[in-house]
This record gives sequence, C-alpha cells and structure tokens, in this order.
Amino acid sequence: MKQLLKNPYSQFALFIILMALAPTLKQLGLLNSSTVIILGTVMFYSIVGIGLNVLLGYSGLISLGTAGFMGLGSYLSAYCTQDLGLSFFPSLIISVTVPLVIGLIIGLISLRIEGYYLAIATLGISEILRQVFAEMEFVTGGFSGKNAGYPQLFGIIKLNRQMTYILIAAFLLAILIFTYNFIKSRTGRALLTMRGSEAAAQAMGINLLKYKLIAFATATLYAGIGGVLYVHFIRFSYPSGWNLTLSLQILACIVIGGMRTISGPVFGAFVVFGVPELILKRLPVIGSIDGLAYIFTGVLIIVVILFYPNGLIYLGNDLQSLFRKKRVKNNG
Amino acid sequence: MSTFLQLLFSSLESGSVYALAALGIIIIFRTSRMTNFAQGSLGMVNAFVATFIYIYTGITPIIAALLGMVSALILGIIVDLVIMRRAKKVSPVSKQIITFGLIMLLLGLAPMIFGTSPLSFPRFIIKGAFTIGGASVTYNALFNIIVGLTIMLLLFYFLQKTKWGLAVRATASNEVTAQLMGVPTKTVTMGAWAVAAALGTLAALMLAPAITVNVSMMDNVQVNALIACVLGGFQTFYGPVIGAYVIGFTRNMLTYYISSTWGGAILYILFLVFIVFRPNGIIGKKRIKKV
Repeated sequence: MKQLLKNPYSQFALFIILMALAPTLKQLGLLNSSTVIILGTVMFYSIVGIGLNVLLGYSGLISLGTAGFMGLGSYLSAYCTQDLGLSFFPSLIISVTVPLVIGLIIGLISLRIEGYYLAIATLGISEILRQVFAEMEFVTGGFSGKNAGYPQLFGIIKLNRQMTYILIAAFLLAILIFTYNFIKSRTGRALLTMRGSEAAAQAMGINLLKYKLIAFATATLYAGIGGVLYVHFIRFSYPSGWNLTLSLQILACIVIGGMRTISGPVFGAFVVFGVPELILKRLPVIGSIDGLAYIFTGVLIIVVILFYPNGLIYLGNDLQSLFRKKRVKNNG
Repeated sequence: MSTFLQLLFSSLESGSVYALAALGIIIIFRTSRMTNFAQGSLGMVNAFVATFIYIYTGITPIIAALLGMVSALILGIIVDLVIMRRAKKVSPVSKQIITFGLIMLLLGLAPMIFGTSPLSFPRFIIKGAFTIGGASVTYNALFNIIVGLTIMLLLFYFLQKTKWGLAVRATASNEVTAQLMGVPTKTVTMGAWAVAAALGTLAALMLAPAITVNVSMMDNVQVNALIACVLGGFQTFYGPVIGAYVIGFTRNMLTYYISSTWGGAILYILFLVFIVFRPNGIIGKKRIKKV
C-alpha cells in the first residue's frame, strides 16, 4: 500500500479520482454547484499550466501567448461543433492542430532571437489573435462572443455538466501521465540541458531546433486542449477574456506551484484560480474588494520568486524535514 | 499631401508617447538587465494619482502631471527598495516574472484605491490649433511632441555629459566592474526605476485625454514600447527611441492607408518578420556569447 502511494502514476490516479468525486458530493449536497464549476476551471487551467511548464520550467523560455492559443482552441471548437455540426473528438483534433501549427512557427522564430525577446514576440502574437477574435465574426461571433454546448461524443452520446467535468478530469489524468513519461525520457533530459546552457547542450549533440520546437508544440497543444475543454464546460467564449492577464495568471500557476515539477502547475492552479474564488471572496470585509485576487496572485509571484524559488509544492516536504530536524535536536 | 502631413504629426505625437515609455524600459534594462513589463502599469497607477490631484484640487493639468511624476519617482524607488534590490541573484527569466507579478499587483491595487470608473484628464493646452500645409495641428499635440523631444534630449545629455550619466553607462556596461570602481550601482539602479516610472507616467498622461484614465489604458503603449525596444535594439539608449517613432509612424500609415481594423495586426506581423531577419534590431550589434 505504501509503495502504491509512492508510485507517481497511482498518485495521479488517486488525485483524479478525488477530483472526480466532486459532482457526486454535489448531488449529496456537500458541495454547491459553483464549487464544482471552479474545480473544473482549475483542472483545465492545470492542463494549460502543465504545457506552459514544459516551455518555461524545463526549457526556460517565456511565452505570453498562452491565453491567445487557448482562445483560438475554444473558438475553433465552438465553430466546429455549433456551425459545422462535428462531434467532440474530430472538432478537438481540428482545434488543437491550428494552435499547434502556429506554435511551431513561433518555435522557428524563437530560434533566431534571444530569450528576453521571446516574451515580447509572443505578446505581439496574442495581440494579433485577439484582433482576430474580435473581427472575424463569422467564426468567433465578434465582440458578443460565441456559444457552445456540452460535448457530444461520437455524434450520439450527449454529455451533461457532470459528465463534462468527469471528461475534463480524464483529460487531466491522461496529460499528467503523458507529461510525466515525456519529461522522464530522453526529450525531457535534453530540454533540461538546453535550459542550463544552450552552448553546452549543442556541444553534446542536442539539436536545439528540434527540442525548442517540441517545447513550443507541447505548450500550444496543451493550451489548445485547455481552450476546447473551457468552451465546452463554460459554454461561452468572448474576445476580452483571452487577454494578457489570463496568460500571466497561468504563468503564475507555474511559478507559485513550482517550476520543473509535474504537479506544481496543478497545485498552482488551485492557488491562483481556486483560492480567490473559494476562500478570498467569502472572507468578511475584504472579500468584496475589487482586484483582491490580482493582488493575491501578484504578491505571491513576487514572494515565491524571491524567497521560495522552487515553488510552494515543496512546502509540505520542507515543513516535514524542518519538523524532523527539530525532533532530532530535542532528542539530542 | 495635407493628409500625409496630418498623419506625420499624429505619428510624432503617438511616437513621443511610445518613446517615453520605451526609454523607461531601456533605462531599466541597461542598468538591471531586466525587461520591465510593468512599465505601463506603473504609468497607469501614477496617472490615476495625477488625475485625482487634478480633480480634487483643481490646479492646472501641468502641475498635476508634475505631481504625478513625483509620485511616480517615489513609487519607482519603493519598487526598487522593496523588490528589485532583493532580486540581484535571481535569473533573468525570473526577473521578468517578477515584473509580471508587479503588473498583477498594480492591476489589483489601482481599482481598490481609485475606483473602477474611468476618469478624464484634460489636455495640457486646452484649446487652439494651427494649420500647416493644410494639416491642422492642435497646440496640445505640438506641446506633447516638444515636451517628449526635450525630455529625451535632456536625458541623453545627462547620460553622455555628466558624471552621474557616466555612472549609469558604467553600470550598464558591467555592473560588477562598475561597483569595484566605486560607482554606487545601487543608487544608479534605484534612480533608473524612479526615472522610468516618471517617464511612463508622462506617457500615460499625454495619452489620457484621448482614451480616459482607466486600468487598461497603457496596455497598447506597453506592447508598442516593448516592440520599439526590440526594433531599436537593447544595446543602446537611443535605439528604442528611434524604434518608437518608427512604430508610431508605421502604425498610423498602416491604419490609414491599408486597413483601420487590421493595421495593428499587420504591424505586429511585420515586426515578427523583421526580428527573424534582424534579431538584434535596427542599430543593434550582435553580442558574442561567451561560454
């Protein structure tokens, strides 16, 4: 049993089973429906965060286009299912391929420019995408936004909100396992070497172009998946939602949770998207202040980078070892 | 011809706004090796301060703007003392992320302190215009252009001819060596943050009459100022300023002659194509990476 708990795969599975219990708990009356929606939100932002972490944590490249790619995925999926009448999986494939291709193009550009230019270049791309969302009305519905329904699998099975929630949980599990394997493989080690020193990586025979492209592809692919899940769970997408602030919040998930960990972004998504909605807004007096969530996230980013650069995911471990040290001292 | 002249003057005006913001970014980049993404947000918060001073005391907009810039100097010093000074050993990527955190913090604080409704800040020179070659230019636009250019020239004079300017340039070229030579690099960095915040505030207040003072007023300027820095190259102080005027001019030409909705997007695409071919900017020199 103890060994089973130490195995990362069973940890992921256990976590997902716990998350998937939420709709049942809601039916039993233990959770209210807004909490379930927030947990669903946390899960699809976790997926996006895990993707961005491959780029930021493992390869040390900053992208500010995340929200744009998420938006692109969401609009395309809404268009494919509502206007073209496709079912969920074909529309998913189309909606993640387009961001993926754009991600690859940026990967090619990124090879030419230095690290700190990249955030600026991706910022430009997200501005272009936002303009596209607002203006290409026949696909995106313009400023008034675009509606979508709950996913329809294989053209016959129509899911309700609870089942969509379970679907998101299943996606998160698949992504957690896939990314874990991917990071522990040759590719993951190559990315880590590249982050340490590009010159050293190149000297060791690591093809920079290939691995930078892989990192970008993963980040945009996951952002696309996150966007698709978003639009079929929230059932609405509008252009001003896909702004820089959202990209920064997803970045915050990684920084706060812990770079270069698989579970860090998931933990961070709970802190950034869950805590303000579930806890801060319910506090007396200060809960009603506008912008409290932003201040909370902003302060956490700065504090974590300055004083706890590995991320809050290690908080448990560190407290444990601190406690142990104290006990040893007391015994001695 | 008159349309072209009209566009030229409005490009000069928006170019001045971008240039002031870009100058703030480059001063911080050169002294503390950090791309400041919060330049716009710093300007926004202090534009709110200036507008509040203007509304509650009723003094002339120019004095209110100067007081706003003073509060920006103070805010810049606070940011440096409280946050950036502790971040000396942090990696460049993490330094960028700190400025993202600063954006979120200011974005949350501004509506908390100043309320959520947009405020209006008047022009510095309320009325009057003159015609030149068929183009009508307001005195305010001319004032903005001249103020922008004057401040930039003063700054360049300061950087090139004074002892403190030499200290800034020494810090920019190599901080550790500068420190060993007795340059007070900490003070230089603090000054850089203060001046950058003040420049951002001035840019915000020049823009304010056209778009009101609100939380997202500087988003566009922030993006354009960063692009101007890339375009001009991060290696010199004057490069980004040139880049800013180029951006202002190109943007106006594209929105007027090609498409009013897609002008901005075309500009960004042109910019992406440009950095593929000249990744170090217009005047940038290639930095040789040492291993």
